[in-house]
Parts: sequence; C-alpha cells; structure tokens
Amino acid sequence: MKHLIPEFDAMRKRYPADAASSLVLPCLRRIQEDRGFVADSDIAELAAYIPVPRIQIEEVLAHYTQFRRAPIGRWHLQACRNLSCSMRGAEGAIAHLERKLGIAPGQTTADGRFTLSTVECLGSCGTAPVVMVNEAYHENMSPPRLDALIEELRK
Amino acid sequence: MTGRKLIMTFPVTATSHLLADYKARGGYGTLERALREMRPEQITKEVTASGILGHGGAAFPTGRKWGVIKPNDGQPHYLCANADEGEPGTFKDRWILENAPHLLLESMLISAYALQVRHSFVYIRGEFDLPYRRLAAAVEEAYAAGLFGERILGTDFACDIVIYRGAGSYVCGEASALITSIEGKKGYPRNRPPRLTVRGLYQRPTVINNVETLSNIAGIVAHGAEAFRTVGTAKSPGTQLVSISGHVQRPGVYEVEYGYPLAKFIYEDCGGPLGGGKIKCVIPGGISTKVLTAAEIETVTYDHAALAAAGSQVGSGGMVVIAEGTCMVRLLQVLLRFYHHESCGQCTPCREGMGWMHRIIDRIVAGEGRMEDIDQLIRISKANDGTTICGMGDAAGYATVGIIAKYRDEFEYFIEHKRSRLNGRLEVVQ
Amino acid sequence: MIEFFINGQPVQAEDNQTVMQAAKANGFFIPYFCWHPQLSVPGNCRICMVEVEADGGGWLDIACNMPITRGMRVLTDSERVRARRKETLQFITLNHPVDCGICDKAGECTLQDYHYEYNGSPSVSRDAKVHATKHYPLSERIVLDNERCIMCTRCVRFTREVSRSDALGVQNRGDHSLIRPVEDGAFENDPYSDNVVDICPVGALLSRQFLHKARVWYLKPTPSVCPGCERGCTVNIWHRKSEWKLNALDQKQNARIDRVTPLENPAVNGPWICNKGRDLAQIFERARAGQAMLKGRPVALQAAIDSARTLIGAAKHPVALVSSWGSNEELAAFHKALRPRFSGYVKPDWLPAPGERIEDKLLIKPDKNPNGAAARALFPALPADARSAFTPDTDLVLVWGEGFSFAHLPPNAKIVYLNSWLQPENGHADVFLPISVMTERAGHYTNFQGVVSGFEACFARPAGVADAVTLFAELAQPVRAGATA
Repeated sequence: MKHLIPEFDAMRKRYPADAASSLVLPCLRRIQEDRGFVADSDIAELAAYIPVPRIQIEEVLAHYTQFRRAPIGRWHLQACRNLSCSMRGAEGAIAHLERKLGIAPGQTTADGRFTLSTVECLGSCGTAPVVMVNEAYHENMSPPRLDALIEELRK
Repeated sequence: MTGRKLIMTFPVTATSHLLADYKARGGYGTLERALREMRPEQITKEVTASGILGHGGAAFPTGRKWGVIKPNDGQPHYLCANADEGEPGTFKDRWILENAPHLLLESMLISAYALQVRHSFVYIRGEFDLPYRRLAAAVEEAYAAGLFGERILGTDFACDIVIYRGAGSYVCGEASALITSIEGKKGYPRNRPPRLTVRGLYQRPTVINNVETLSNIAGIVAHGAEAFRTVGTAKSPGTQLVSISGHVQRPGVYEVEYGYPLAKFIYEDCGGPLGGGKIKCVIPGGISTKVLTAAEIETVTYDHAALAAAGSQVGSGGMVVIAEGTCMVRLLQVLLRFYHHESCGQCTPCREGMGWMHRIIDRIVAGEGRMEDIDQLIRISKANDGTTICGMGDAAGYATVGIIAKYRDEFEYFIEHKRSRLNGRLEVVQ
Repeated sequence: MIEFFINGQPVQAEDNQTVMQAAKANGFFIPYFCWHPQLSVPGNCRICMVEVEADGGGWLDIACNMPITRGMRVLTDSERVRARRKETLQFITLNHPVDCGICDKAGECTLQDYHYEYNGSPSVSRDAKVHATKHYPLSERIVLDNERCIMCTRCVRFTREVSRSDALGVQNRGDHSLIRPVEDGAFENDPYSDNVVDICPVGALLSRQFLHKARVWYLKPTPSVCPGCERGCTVNIWHRKSEWKLNALDQKQNARIDRVTPLENPAVNGPWICNKGRDLAQIFERARAGQAMLKGRPVALQAAIDSARTLIGAAKHPVALVSSWGSNEELAAFHKALRPRFSGYVKPDWLPAPGERIEDKLLIKPDKNPNGAAARALFPALPADARSAFTPDTDLVLVWGEGFSFAHLPPNAKIVYLNSWLQPENGHADVFLPISVMTERAGHYTNFQGVVSGFEACFARPAGVADAVTLFAELAQPVRAGATA
C-alpha cells in the first residue's frame, strides 16, 4: 500500500479536517484497483494510516459487495438478475454463460480468466439484460452478444 | 411529446456534457447572478415557493427540508447529492450524471451558497463507472474554470466538492445510511430524531437531495418559482424524469410533465407493451410502489395526487411495465430476494422479516407452499410497517401487500397446484 | 423539568431525557434488549416501542430514542403496544435455537423473561431456522453462539465506548450478520472483555470458565470486593446455595467460586469489572495452608499460637510486615493488639504480574492490593529497599500475608508467619499460623478514593485455620507462667 500513500495524502486534503474516517472507502477502492483485491496486510496498514480502528475496515469489507479479500478471475462477469433484466432475458443469459464457461455463479474458470457472479439492479434497466464486466456495463446482452463478448475477452 | 421540459432541454451529442457546450447553453450564468445579486435566504425562499418535491422517492418538499438549516449557527453545513440510484427499475439520475453533469454541479453550487455549505458531496453508487467518470471530468473542468474552490467567480463564496463512490449496498441510498457510508463505515441507517438537517454528516446539519431534485434548482433560480409552477400541476409542480423498462417497446429515460396522462405516456410515447400483447400491470415508481392494473392506468394522470388517489405513488420514477402472462409469484420472488440481499441487518423486523419472506416465497415457487403462507407474507409485511429504523422494511411490505392484493389468485393457484398458472414466466411471450 | 404522562400518571422528566430514561427513573418498566444506560442508543431491537396518544390515532415508536414533549401521553402497556411486542418477539425468536436446555443463560435470560411475560405463543413460522456458528471462539475466555445472538450490538458498543479496545464488530449484513472479533486478536487482550457476557441479554456470549458448570438457580450471589487492585470494585461471588449442596457432588463443587460478576456501584465501578476480578477463583482456590507448624513440624493450632506469644513476649525489637490485603477490621485489631510492641510496615502482598495492565482510565489501578490505603493510614509503607525496615537489633519479624521474600529477612531474627497459602516459606518460619481468607469472613476494604465497601462470607473457614481478628488479640496477650515455648 505504501506506493499509494501520496495519492491518499492528496485525497485527504479534499475532505473536511475532522473527516479522515471518510477515507476508508475510497482508499480501499484504490487498493483493490491496484492489487486486484484487498490483502490482509492492507487492512493493518490502512488502519494505521488514516487512522481508524481496524475493525471498522473489516466491517466495511464485509458489508459492501464490491470489495473482495481474495483475487478472482481476470474478467469479472456480473450479471444482473433483478426485475427488468429478468423480464428481458437475464435468466437465459446467465444460463448461457454458465454453459459457455462451464462454471456456476460464484465460481472462476480453471484458466483464471472468468469469474461469474449474479448481482442485483445495476441501474441500466432500459437496456436489459445487463452484464457488468469489471468496471464496464455491457447492455442488451442477448446470447449472440454474450458470445461475441466472451470471444473478445478471450483474446 | 410528454409535456414541457426543464432538464432534457438539449440534444445529446458527443460533447453536450462538456463545460463548453453547457456554457454555450447559458450554463453557470445563473450561478453568477445568484452569487452577485441574491442573498442565500432569497434562494431558499424561491425554492420553497416553487413547491418542488423531492425526486428520490419520498416526495418531501425540498424548501421545507432546506428551511431547517439555521443560517449563521457557527457550524459547518453539508450538502450531499444522492446519486446512489439503486432502486430496481430506476436509471434516470444516471441520465443527468452522464449527459448533464454541469447542470447538477451548477445547481449544487447555488444550493451550497443558499445553505452556507463549504463542503459538498455527490454520493454515487460504486457500480456507476461511466457516470462517475463523466461527473469527475466535469468537476475537474469546473475547478479549472474557477467554479469550485476559493473565491468562486471572484466572490467571497468558497465551496469544494468530493465525489464519494459507494461500493455495492442498496441501503446506502437511504439518506442516513448514505451519510454513515460517507463517514467511512457500514451503510447503517440511523434512527430519527435527530433529523439529518439538525445532526447529519459528522453530526453537522446536512441536506441530502436526489440528483434530479438538485438539478432543478438552477432553473428555479434562473426563471423564478412562479415560472416553475406554470409547469406541471398545482400540487406537483415541474417535471419528473421517468425511467421506463420491462415489457415496453421503447424503454429509456423520458422527462414527463406532471399531470400528463399515464396511459398516453406508456402506450404512445413509449410504444406500449412489448410483443404487441396487453399490459397486465405497471409498477409506477420503484418496486415498493403499489402496482396499477391496465384498467387503473387508463384513468390516471402522472402526478402525486392522482397516483396517491389510485393507491400508489410517483416514487423514484422507476416505472416497470408488466405484460399479460407474467407470473406475479415469480415476480415477487425476485423482489423479496432483492430485499433480503440488501437488508442492512440492524433492526429486528427487517433483518428477520426479509429472510423469512424470501424463504416463504422460495418454498412456494419450489412447489412446497402452504395456504397459510399468503397470510403469513402479509403478516410479516404489516409487522414491518412503521416499525423499522428506515423505510426498507416498509418498502418490502408494501411491494408484497400490493402484489398479493391484486393477484392473490395466482398465489393460491401456485400453492394448490405446486406450479405457476402462467408457467412461471417473467419474459413476455413473443 | 418537563411534565408528561405515562399510563395516565404525571411524570417529571429532566430536560433531554428520553421516554425510556424518564420511565425507568420513575418506576415504569419498558422492556429492552439493545438499550443500556451506560451505552449509546442504537434503537435496533424495537421491543421498547410504546404508544403515544394523539388526536387522529397516535403512533408507536421506540422509547429509547423518543424525546419528551410537554404534556405528551405515553402508554407502555396498551393493546397496540402488547400486540407490537408479540410481533417483535416472534421476529426475535424466529431463528433463535431456543436451546435453553443446554444454554447457560437459562434462568437469567432476558429473552426467556420477555417471552413468558409478553408473548407466550409458539412461533408462527413453519420454516426451518437459519443456522449459524454455535461455538465461535471469540477469545480464550469467551465463546459466541451466533444462533442465539439477537444482534443487539451491546457487546460491540461496549468495546467501542467503554473498554475502547475496538475489538468487536458486525460482519456481513441482513440475517447473515455475525458478531466477530477484530482479526488481530485485540479482543484477547481486552482486560474488560468479560463484561460483554453480563450485558448480553441472551445466551450468545458465554464465559468459558463457567460454561456448563452450574445452573444459575443453584447458585447464590454474595456481595464482596475484588482484591485485585486498589479500585476495590464491588462484585458478586456466586457459589452453591446451601439447599443445593449435593452430597453426591465432589465436596469441592459445593464450596467453590462458580463465577464472579460485577455488583453495580455508581461510586466505584459502575456496572463493570475487569477480567482479573472474574478470575478470583484463581486467587482463592490456590492450595491452602491448613496446618500450623513450628519450623515445619506440624502442631496443633493452639500450640502454635502459644509459641508465637512466647516469642512475641520475649522480643525486644520486633518488626511487623502488615498485609495490604487485611480488612479494615483486621487492621484495626492488629493495630490495637500489636502496634504498641511492633514497628510495623505495610507491604504490597501482590505486585503487577508480567504483562498485566498497570493502570488505565477505566478501572485498573497500579496498586494491586485491595486495602493498602487503609493499612498505610495506620502504618508506614515498607521502604523500597525492604531490608531497611530491619536494624541489626531486629530479633523478631512477624510477617502477615504473602508476597514477602524470606531472603530479605534478617538471618538472626525469629519469624512468625501468618499466611493462607501453601508455600515453601511456611516451613521455614519459627511459627507458622494458617489464617482465613476474605471469602471466609465479613469485613470492609477502603479503596484509593476512600470509599469503604463491605464483603460477606461465602464459605466456612476450614478447621485448623485461624480467624485473623481474634488471632491478633490472642497473640498480644502476655504469656502465662509455665507455658511451654
């Protein structure tokens, strides 16, 4: 985490003086962006840097779904299965991905390329079904478009 | 056309979200006039006179919320734009963040000036990546142009803004949980009292407004409360950004003037139901709002009073069209799974109740339902009404009671025959 | 002061009190799980909901966070309130294992009490209960049953607001929420950790020391004072009720300290004690000295007392090392009987153990003896170099209590040793007299602030062991002619 400290110092200046505790979420996001996940050592270092009690960081990591404490596949396919997506083919899309990749939601392919998850509403209901790949939204994901996406990601 | 426009007043192009284009449309002119010619209390007065209601779902009068902030009380005030937009079916704030970020920023600056706010925040859900990047770029442009920071436009007014990204928690769209999240903690809502306008972020007076609500402020200050009130209806002045999805031909974000006929909107402006069939029902604004049947939407105008009279609400503007042939039992199952997943777990009725309802409906869908399950779902819903720390428990209850009230026969069929009367369909038959 | 009404009765409330606080202060009971007078208000259990009467029907809301307005009319037991409580208890017991048959908390469990008082109905659920970890090791001392936990968060708030170890938190969300300790083991080092066992309203947090040892209704609490430091926290020592002493049991179980809990004391320790106080059995159940001796040779108690009197009578420059664990009564008796003859010094019977917290802002004080202040009011403290208490003329040292190294005693002096514990030094004394311990007598200690607290006897003094108060008077009596040395 040490190499991120200058960024964190700059971030700190943007917040009110007594608001250091706010740094927990943005710093964790940055750590995860950098490393791919939040390591146990990051927790102790971040707690000491801000400073906040370590338990606060542990609670945050377990509460918010976007944080992870272990690495996952190179491409994280997060398929929405909430209302509008389910009404426009999400269940079929997820089943298609399961068949195509040979994994169930929560699993990673053996080659470490793809991790499949189901998620709740992503706020893109007008272009359902939607699959979020790492940070990006992929919309209107019919099976042919899913196939094209996987091909592209496999390159 | 869905009535007059206040927000979606320009064609979306490759550059329309940038500062140069916004300025060419007259952007930041209102901020300049407000800082130079108006006192903070005049702005609050104008907002109150406009009668604008919150666009996040609760429809609380914005001026009344602002009015609780005491000027010159010697403590910091905070302003947060709620861009968490997690309500299923709702994606209209995203339109503003992607296409009109400067409208939000200018409005926030005017609001911050009115409320004596030095530090403002936009809390944006963690999954919104493109909206975040558009907004962040707009913030950078604004800082570079001297529109944030010290001595804005050469006046004594100073204001900074931080875009705070969430990390996957629907409950953080609730105002007090949003604040607790900005404080770097779990998204736990808080009991009231105290109101957030008395003790909010870091225990200071805080105003939290929805992105769309705030985005209206520039226009209200520019043209005045009276002009604003000429749009919409007496009790619902202005417009609503409606995100419509589900079994509809032309899903998307539309700006609808309050008072516009709902049936016209759905059938004409949005192309009517997908697949050329019939509409079964419509969720008007977020999944906790009571469903309106096809017959009910025929006679209703899109405004707060009319929807309330019809037993529903404007809510978050997240409208979902449900076609004939959709299994309402499976539909409720999706909703209850969602509420169970998102419950923060603090208070007893919601923590235990959401899981309980989800397990019951899973059992029904698996063909293991019992007749008493239907009344059990209603009992749990009622036990979450007005008993919880935040509105999420109530919301799940309203969704459940609303659907069962109108489609009880489907639930009874499912339990008796151990299968859906409609083949468990959620997709439309094409 | 604000006047309002509870159940039709006028009540005077202080400004800024909540309905819960005002109700409690005026003798009205409103049930609560998550509320605690010494902790912040989370308002999560929802059992304290009360009805506020108003035109148009009134409303229900939690009392623990409800501000009081002049003239408001609160009902704590109306039909609506009772119905709401039943529903809340249905939720709380929804996934609760209801394994009272094997739960230590049975008999002192708030959930049991409220169920019988306010619900009494079976669960309306026909679904399987959600399972969670039954025996999570929160620390070496505390085991957590996540199924019984009702997520009141008292334990979490205790570590944030009182002990300040920040060692507990809530992992996950919804009904997957779990109380968990911070991963760096800080809860293990929280010297106040066991207080969470007291404040847990159900049997989720349990003391390993006490786990499955005894049903609480077989035990009685005896008020006492913790001797662990000069704070003198008042405690309850729990031991078997006389009517529940079973012949079939190992007699040791009939006469042991089963557990120690705080005895609430606003002037000294509030509702808390530190873990050292929980471990009093480790102090009082060490091997006891039960046999009087003369230079290691067992003799009858009276014979030993007579020998001691002879030695005392003959001594020209006797020195006494006074126990800082002596009670006010023993010290007074000692002072009266022996001060005329002896130069006395107060010794610290106990010093801090390696790794023991010396002092903090909560309860723990540096002097690890319960009555040093009272003793030092009567005798000077032992100098830092203990040997300087003695002169070449010192011909008798009376050592009272443990903790003094015999290596520091003058080699040519006679030694009379009064001690409760089986220690090698006992055999080296010219006269050894076994004496009673605190749990075998009543008395008082004075803490570092001058607060006097009393303790009562829990157990009978073993045969052959002397009572210190009467012993000092006896030791001071002159020797009769003809008594053997």
